[in-house]
Amino acid sequence: MHKSLLMVFLLLLLPWHKGFCADKATIGGISFAEALAQEDPAPSGDFTTLVVPIKRAGNLIIVEAQVDSVEGNFVLDTGAPYLVLNETYFRDEPHISEKQTGGINGEADGTFTTEVHDFNILDLHYSRLTADVTDLSAIENGRGMKILGLLGTRLFSRLAITIDLKNNLLYIHKLDSDGNIPADEEVFHNPILTAPILYMNDILFLNGSINNKSVLFVFDSGAETNLMDYGISRKILKSMQIINRSELTGVGGSKFEVLYARSNNLVIGGQVFANNHFLITNLKEMGRAYDHDIDGILGCDFFTRGVFTINFVKKEFEMYIYNNQ
Amino acid sequence: MRRYRYFVIILFLLLYGLPKVNAQSNNLIAERKKLVLLIDVNTSKNSIDSILKRAGINNVTAQDVINGHYTALINGGWLLVKKQDNVLQFNFSIKSLKTNPQKSPFSVTESTIKTGDRHGYPDDIIYGVNKFISPTVYQLPSGLTRFYFKGSLSARRVFLSGSFNDWSTLQGLMSKTADGWIIDLKLKPGAYEYKFIVNGNWTTDPGNSIQLDDGAGNINSIYFIYNYTFKLKGYANAHQVFVAGNFNRGNDNELMLTKKGDTWELPLYLREGNYNYRFIVDGKSITDPVSINKTTDDNGVVNSVANVGENIYFKLNGYANAQNVYLAGNFTKWESGKIKLKKSDGGWILPMVLKSGNYQYKFIVDGNWILDPANPCHAVEGGQVNSFLAVNPTHTFKLDGHSDAQVVHITGTFNNWDPDQYLMGHTANQWSISLYLKPGKCLYKFIVDDNWILDPGNKYWEQNGNDKGNSVVWIGQ
Repeated sequence: MHKSLLMVFLLLLLPWHKGFCADKATIGGISFAEALAQEDPAPSGDFTTLVVPIKRAGNLIIVEAQVDSVEGNFVLDTGAPYLVLNETYFRDEPHISEKQTGGINGEADGTFTTEVHDFNILDLHYSRLTADVTDLSAIENGRGMKILGLLGTRLFSRLAITIDLKNNLLYIHKLDSDGNIPADEEVFHNPILTAPILYMNDILFLNGSINNKSVLFVFDSGAETNLMDYGISRKILKSMQIINRSELTGVGGSKFEVLYARSNNLVIGGQVFANNHFLITNLKEMGRAYDHDIDGILGCDFFTRGVFTINFVKKEFEMYIYNNQ
Repeated sequence: MRRYRYFVIILFLLLYGLPKVNAQSNNLIAERKKLVLLIDVNTSKNSIDSILKRAGINNVTAQDVINGHYTALINGGWLLVKKQDNVLQFNFSIKSLKTNPQKSPFSVTESTIKTGDRHGYPDDIIYGVNKFISPTVYQLPSGLTRFYFKGSLSARRVFLSGSFNDWSTLQGLMSKTADGWIIDLKLKPGAYEYKFIVNGNWTTDPGNSIQLDDGAGNINSIYFIYNYTFKLKGYANAHQVFVAGNFNRGNDNELMLTKKGDTWELPLYLREGNYNYRFIVDGKSITDPVSINKTTDDNGVVNSVANVGENIYFKLNGYANAQNVYLAGNFTKWESGKIKLKKSDGGWILPMVLKSGNYQYKFIVDGNWILDPANPCHAVEGGQVNSFLAVNPTHTFKLDGHSDAQVVHITGTFNNWDPDQYLMGHTANQWSISLYLKPGKCLYKFIVDDNWILDPGNKYWEQNGNDKGNSVVWIGQ
């Protein structure tokens, strides 16, 4: 009897266990309401710091990886929570679970969860990775590059990464027991800023300010420009110089309006950034996908200001400029 | 007291609620729910046009505003709220920004980031001659091209990445030798950009003097695989021989031939096409004494002509009693009496040099236009069905079965989804057609009689607007 009660109690507890809870996950800004069934094993690899060459497609950061026997391009996308595979090339993978389609969060039809059992970024090896398979053809067609998938944040959750876009390099760092990059493995020194990361639903958030007003940003390496919600405070809007107004066509042909604006008063981690370009539009749907209202997204315009490191264990964002190498 | 309250409210609105019209001249300000456009009609037209453009107003000129013609502005949603002295204030509701919120950053930026140019692919290079400090890339007797990176023997691995492997960072793993790293590749003649990746770090070839900025902030090395040799026999006593032509803007001091035996030679890469050229022998310009093809330019200068491309043999079997057989095609703008085939054993034949591409043609036998009976593939131009030929095709589409079909077309992004242009040939139990397609992604479908179908032999397809999908194939460099 006692055993049965214990089992019931444990079963009740299970949903609160890390990796089992109904996380809301996001893929390139599209959210998925279901949980990852099981936490993936930690990656392995015979290195302390792995140097990975990267490429660019538009403003996207491209890393080549191998999934099973297939090699190809993946977008390094901190706006995605985990590995996402392009349906065009992976629709025959085993279905672990189906995703809701056409739901409020904009899941694409036919999206499902699968598992890959041999995923490698050079020497970084994953014996099992849970992945979503969805339609990424818009990215491929928009950037003219074959894209196998997106590398989301969970792939690096036990690591730190440094991106040096000037030299097209990604450093993947193993961390010491305190969660730090070992001192003799640091490539860059004396960061110009260090900011805590709010790591919610596997999405990176950074607190900042514009014109002394607090702003909650998503840090998204897959965002090709900075974005700002049109409903941002009047004080912030007034401080921005409007450069242009235009109507754009989104994926699928929908028309929407944006403002291009410039701000000289962006502050992240105590560091002031001048001449920041933002695209002002309605971010409500993206906030819904991230499961959190957001004021803005820091993308390429921001992260090309210097080399940046994301320590996923210490939940820290650092930026360096080149003469501090 | 009540009067005072209204006074205070009005004063507050004047101070804070409305933009200070006099404070600035031309300006565009974002407010909580509106854009405020301030135009000082006394400023220059350029300045007014500039602010109109910033506001996204493309159908109104400065002169319209100066003349007080605001109709187009108002029709565009701008409301004239104030006119004070020379300054006009228009407001525009930015509620429209709420419409169609996008679901991902990419869907916002998809059309704003231009990626039209192919960076890292030397598509625009017409000619080239290699220049090495030390021979790090060279042709092997086997026909393969060897890339060599000296040293870095302690490196964990070295890759070769370039336009030939779509800049893959994984495919070009080099083999370690006693003094460096090598890889042998099978490459066609052409210009190739490349880099080595040494322990993850992108590195230009230290032995290669020719580098190119790819337009995206990267410097790459370039290697040319030759496909043409300029030759001039004799002139044993000459000191210097150059070749100049429209391919190098007539620069007669750039491309020098070297003497080999009794012949001056210059092997080089020359992009497919027809080029005019002359030799410059010790400063004296001459035509190529061997070349049959010559042309006279607008200044009356006679030039030799180099045709660079693929040798194609057009052949028409039979028709032994015909008097004349001509070839006409879109490569000659369908001129009917220009290219004559020669009679040979069993038929008629014509060698021709054509650039890589897709061509349509017909034979004209004693005035009768006929399809090539030996070619099952056809294409349509101007409503006419012609024989179809791809020179150096980059992909062959195949559809097994469907033997009962009357006709099978192929259509896709390569022909703007024209459903009628390409008719596949039917042989044995298969429909097929080879096409010359540009590198990159190609979406396509077969049309079996009138039924549009995915390629059953290709598991890769992506969804399209009508939920029926398109087959996907990537065409390599």
